[in-house]
Amino acid sequence: MSEAATMPDSNTPAGMLEADLVKRAQRGDLKAYDELVKRYQQRIYATLYHMTGNHEDANDLAQDAFIKAYAALKSFKGGSTFYTWLYRIAVNKTINFLKQRKNKYHLSLNDIDFNAEHDPDLMALISDKTPTRDVALAELQKKLNEALLKLSEPHRMVIVLHDVQDLSHDEIAEIMGCNIGTVRSRLFYARQQMQGHLTEYIKNV
Amino acid sequence: MSERGQNFDDLKKLLKLKRHEVPPPGFFNQFSEEVVARIRAGESRNAHSLADRLNDQAPWLVSFLRLFEAKPGIVGGFATSLCLLMLFGVVLAERSETGPKNIFTAAADGQAAATAVETSATPQFAANTLPAEGGITISTNASLQPVATLFGQSAAASLFQPASFAPAH
Repeated sequence: MSEAATMPDSNTPAGMLEADLVKRAQRGDLKAYDELVKRYQQRIYATLYHMTGNHEDANDLAQDAFIKAYAALKSFKGGSTFYTWLYRIAVNKTINFLKQRKNKYHLSLNDIDFNAEHDPDLMALISDKTPTRDVALAELQKKLNEALLKLSEPHRMVIVLHDVQDLSHDEIAEIMGCNIGTVRSRLFYARQQMQGHLTEYIKNV
Repeated sequence: MSERGQNFDDLKKLLKLKRHEVPPPGFFNQFSEEVVARIRAGESRNAHSLADRLNDQAPWLVSFLRLFEAKPGIVGGFATSLCLLMLFGVVLAERSETGPKNIFTAAADGQAAATAVETSATPQFAANTLPAEGGITISTNASLQPVATLFGQSAAASLFQPASFAPAH
């Protein structure tokens, strides 16, 4: 394949810079906004899924967050990155939803992809639990999600954003509107709680 | 707070499993389309709600506009009457530019008529408003402003008395 064929065309939304897409979307260009949605849909959905433990809720919340972001796009002045701003909307929406739902939750978990069975770290943790890997993984998945849902929303959010989504402390602080010290202390507390809930899988507690 | 004395390595390994949870195949192919479709639906719903609000706040306007729906005869008649009204206004404005001059000339020629107006209307009004004792009465009856001044004529040639200052007794 030639280099020209692999280079994204800067005249199409797919090849545009984020800032240009945002400007276009602010002027009502839905094609530009569609491209922005495509760029961030997986990360936003994943965060909301890990927070709710429910695919349908995560889907609804992610759609609502993108729609709300579009409606509020004119108020976006570029003080932060679009990505952080979008995350903040999604996170606030989800925390409000979870507060309304209180402790009543219904797990609707996604399937685990094929690669999980070949992850040596995971296999080392479950190998001596059950004879078949898929059963062991399914059980671990359920226990993991239940343990996450036992955390308060801010603690769950911090551990999801940091340990699952790989966001930095700075980014999490900006998204959650708190300082880095708070992020660190919440992360520490959340990990302690999680370890307590998952003792049977964690050897060196 | 730090992670001293705590080993979270195994927990981090366990949490890696979360990254392997994936939505149904093709889920993200439809996602952005659904978002954009909902945005478009919301925009059209807002447009409809504007019509609804107009219906609530000014139903007479809505029923008036409905008169024109699929009735070209009424639309044409309304437009014609508007044009005629505008034309009439233009003609009237042109005539009024010359009209007051003629009136004034006629009034100057017939001095008796003007005097009759002065003596019969304005002084009577001034006498009625004169205070019984003390103070100054200012009579500035705007409705009695000479018509001629409105059309660039001098006040000296006025048919009406503009204002009167009556000293106190």
